[in-house]
Amino acid sequence: MIYTIYHKTSFHYQSIVNFSHNIARLKPKDTAYQKLLEFTMEIEPKVSESHEFVDMFGNTNTHMLIREPHQLLSVTGKSRVEIFPNLIEQHIEFLKSNSITYGAAVERLSKFHASDLSAKQFLFESELIPKGSDAIKEYVLESFHKERDLFEAAHEFMNRIFNDFKFLSGFSDITTPVETIFEAKKGVCQDFAQFAISALRTIGLPAKYMSGYIETLPPEGEEKLFGVDASHAWFAVYIPNAGWAEFDPTNNIIPKEQHILLGSGRDYHDISPLKGVVQSSGNSRLSVMVDVRREKKDLIKESASGQTQMQMQSQMQNQSQQ
Amino acid sequence: MGIFDDYHSESSFDEVFDSEQNIRDYWKDVLADIEAAGIEKLKKKQADIDWYLEDNGVTYNIYNDDSNPSRSWSLDPIPFVISEQEWSTITKGLQQRAKLLNMILKDIYSEQKLIKDNIIPAEVVFGHKGFATEVFDFGKKENFNLYFYATDMARGPDGKMWVINDKTQAPSGLGYAIENRLTMNSVSKNLYPNINTKKLSFFIEEFKELLSELTGGDISSAALLTPGAYNETYFEHSYLSSFLEINLLQGHDLLSKDGALWLKSLSGLKKINTILRRVDDRFCDPLELKSESRLGIAGLTDAMRQNNINMINPIGSAILENKGLNPFMNKIAEYFLKEELILPQIATWWCGQKKELDFVLANLNKLVIKKIDNTEIIKTYFGKLLSEDELKNLSVLLRKNPNKYIAQEEISFSTAPYYGNGKLEPRNAVIRTFCLKKNDDYTVMNGGLVRVSKIKDSLLISSQKGGTSKDLWILSSEEEDVNYSNILKRDHYTDTAINNISTLRAENLFWLGRYLTRAIDTTRFISLIVKRLTNLYRYEVRTSKDSQKILQDALTHLTMTYPGFLSDGAVPVRPTSEIISVIKDISRSGSLASVISMLSNANINLKDLLAFESSKLFDKMQKEWNEFINRSTNSSILISNELDSLFTYLMAYKQLVNESIFKEQGLILFDIGHRIESALILISKARSMLCVRLKKAESYDVLEAMLNSMESMNAYRAQYKSSLVLENVIEFLILNTQFPKSLAHMTDKLANDFKLLPKSKDYLTSYEKPIFQAQSFLSKLDVETIMEIKDEEVVYLKFDKILSKLSEYFIECSDEFSKTYFSHYDE
Repeated sequence: MIYTIYHKTSFHYQSIVNFSHNIARLKPKDTAYQKLLEFTMEIEPKVSESHEFVDMFGNTNTHMLIREPHQLLSVTGKSRVEIFPNLIEQHIEFLKSNSITYGAAVERLSKFHASDLSAKQFLFESELIPKGSDAIKEYVLESFHKERDLFEAAHEFMNRIFNDFKFLSGFSDITTPVETIFEAKKGVCQDFAQFAISALRTIGLPAKYMSGYIETLPPEGEEKLFGVDASHAWFAVYIPNAGWAEFDPTNNIIPKEQHILLGSGRDYHDISPLKGVVQSSGNSRLSVMVDVRREKKDLIKESASGQTQMQMQSQMQNQSQQ
Repeated sequence: MGIFDDYHSESSFDEVFDSEQNIRDYWKDVLADIEAAGIEKLKKKQADIDWYLEDNGVTYNIYNDDSNPSRSWSLDPIPFVISEQEWSTITKGLQQRAKLLNMILKDIYSEQKLIKDNIIPAEVVFGHKGFATEVFDFGKKENFNLYFYATDMARGPDGKMWVINDKTQAPSGLGYAIENRLTMNSVSKNLYPNINTKKLSFFIEEFKELLSELTGGDISSAALLTPGAYNETYFEHSYLSSFLEINLLQGHDLLSKDGALWLKSLSGLKKINTILRRVDDRFCDPLELKSESRLGIAGLTDAMRQNNINMINPIGSAILENKGLNPFMNKIAEYFLKEELILPQIATWWCGQKKELDFVLANLNKLVIKKIDNTEIIKTYFGKLLSEDELKNLSVLLRKNPNKYIAQEEISFSTAPYYGNGKLEPRNAVIRTFCLKKNDDYTVMNGGLVRVSKIKDSLLISSQKGGTSKDLWILSSEEEDVNYSNILKRDHYTDTAINNISTLRAENLFWLGRYLTRAIDTTRFISLIVKRLTNLYRYEVRTSKDSQKILQDALTHLTMTYPGFLSDGAVPVRPTSEIISVIKDISRSGSLASVISMLSNANINLKDLLAFESSKLFDKMQKEWNEFINRSTNSSILISNELDSLFTYLMAYKQLVNESIFKEQGLILFDIGHRIESALILISKARSMLCVRLKKAESYDVLEAMLNSMESMNAYRAQYKSSLVLENVIEFLILNTQFPKSLAHMTDKLANDFKLLPKSKDYLTSYEKPIFQAQSFLSKLDVETIMEIKDEEVVYLKFDKILSKLSEYFIECSDEFSKTYFSHYDE
């Protein structure tokens, strides 16, 4: 199936900005399970120069210099992405059947295994995700016993986050510490993802931050309005011998054909859709508009699922002023 | 033996004496000289050394110490001696280590063969804070190299030099090592007449060659990137930049565009292609690295990515400051070079492996524990000093995060004689050596910086924690011929040619002119008010109280410390406490204390440009001033004296500034700042003091104060030979084009100054326009029209309006001037 995605991120500055360096990451990744068919990026005002490069995590970055006086910077990514549900199903089956126990995984990760090396980048604390406290460790270990199958344990862990944490926007922003989220047991999708990642790394498992979109459906019989979607986040855990398994604790589902990946990294910082450095006084405000829709022809047969997906309102702020 | 009688080292190895108390061969000559000199002469030489260092302004800033921000550097008159023979082995070892580290650096940021072939654990790289994902794949670049490398070494119990630390991201100490040598040279001909040592100049020459090669022959496109004047080793940054003859720049001096870096200079943008940096990795680029950093340049990483900038050393080098690599260095040497490590290291266990962790936990009380990446603050646990509980906590820490820790054997390092408190004592010493990449090999400096622990048998040595330094002498069998005779003779010339001056420096000069003028005028004005307040009842005249009110209001306007004396609150403003607040309250914008603090900032940022005497003078003034504003006694006489003293300092400082820079160079910016500020102050005072219609006695009082506050009473008298009349004062201070302090004269001068600037055009520039308007406006005025007033009016409204208009012109001029010269966003 094919999705059309519209993702507009804007910075509104209090005073006029004459010169700003920005990095946008709005181009969805090509993976074994999704293919980017088309992509365009529109920037307002005019960009004086731009340079595209692929970072260590395989995400496409666009470095843009803007030299026109402006008070509003908006970057819009428009993409068409094809998702391959069969391949995803196959991959999940593969993960399930090749998964090993948590104990065996930790044992194997402590040794040298050529195929595990690149996953080890995701084993450590990162800028936004520190290792968890003893309380977090205790919480996560309830699901992860030595003899327990890793995939099952992770599945249950996602389930528990979904049940124990309350979805509440406005409580947190991107800088809210994982510990605060854990104590309050509330937050939005990126909080749940970062909490899960922190917990998994604490018990010695590599975990990745997944950033992207999720398809939402309007109430029965109503037309879906444009721009009511939001960007989404979930996590992936590494199962030695099998690969990366993805889980969406916000919706308590294993991402399949309704999740579209934008990019992945150690935490939000590695994949923030827009960040910039400006020389200006005063504050800036960020706004985001997202629209995700499935291209018509296969919408009819899929709409039976009837599930309303919970969305998140992420605080995509990543802006420093000088 | 004499002066060494009481010298007993408790260390397992002493540099001078062997275990039988015999003098080691290569020390004999130096020791004989020390003994021949005796304690008294050492004392005298120490005093000479202190003088040389202070006279050269050698300082080392201590962070978080406001009372004494810069401390003098100290140097021991006894050198640390190494024989030529031993040095040649050390040199080979350092070259090998530098080569290996460079290969590791390039591999980590490209193929990662070391990890893939199981030579080093992935955790040692990925778990290290210095691993920069942003420069992933840069290792393949030809210019991605460890160009400059410093090694800390100390002598172990086996008598060999052991490597204890690798400094790779922005090594410090080279400047101090050179200054130590130059200072030692001044005393050593007399103290050590027959000792030949290897020279340092060759290394500096090599450094310049490297810069020349990287810049493609034009060394002016290289820069030393400093975090600024508040950095602990700023002295060294300015010192090295002048030796190497490259720009000394801060992040704000540069911008990135076209995927390259550009220096903002008064005449425009100039491309920079090579950076010797003293800013740490994560602080180099707020766009891709640490977003809060104010020390870097947004876009620098991408400029590297686009091959437009060489960095000494590249971003990402912090990964090599990694004690987790130590246990694997032998394997790495075998893997890359098929060689054995030449220089020994301290036995190190990385806790990320089970066997090693078990060993460490079992022997915790004997080991030294460190994090692999504690590059900024070195937190070190000495097992033997810990209590049972502390050991237990440490094992919990290690179990929780084993990948992050290493353990090392505790080593007793050698001691060397140190002169202090009138005697010789053994002290632990660490030497820092320096290597430079030259083609496929490395050049090692024949000398280095030796740091000596502050107290006897100290386990930690760090300049931040105090302690002193020594010069490192590599003995030489014969006197070396130095062809590069003048390279170490530091050229005190700093390039301030108007076209090359960096924007940041230009801006600082401009603001120095403005703040200094503001400080001087404010001091003079407050002083005048305080003195009148003290003498309020002296002359039996009632009117002076009313005129005092006018002056106080004028002070509030002048300093813009509103509401101040203009407050219409229920409680009347108490003059003394308000004046004290305007003087001392540093948190109050516009107060004298706040102006001095901003002035101090500009002064520090211009330290390397201004004459050394001026910063000495400023430091002295600052010290007295800080004491004064922190003192709670506030008698008028004390305040008056203090203001007089401040005024004298400021005037002397101004004189030194005027003398140390040429007008055609940077001084013109200082002058422009000075003139704009003077004009604005004069206008402000005129609006408060000359626009009010007053009775004769009051008027006399206020006019007198106005002229005195500009030191212009005598000039007025000479000109008018009459008593004080408002018309004349206005004519004199505002319209008279001949009197140097008048507004009309300053406006003319400003217009002339602007013509000397690099962006001067045939037509009027945006900043010249308002001054031209002010000029023509002033030229059309005459006193009679200015002073038109209706009978019932108490204020010369027309005059006030004129002044207000003029004030706008000057403010516009200042803004446009800043825009044209200090920002480069439209170029």
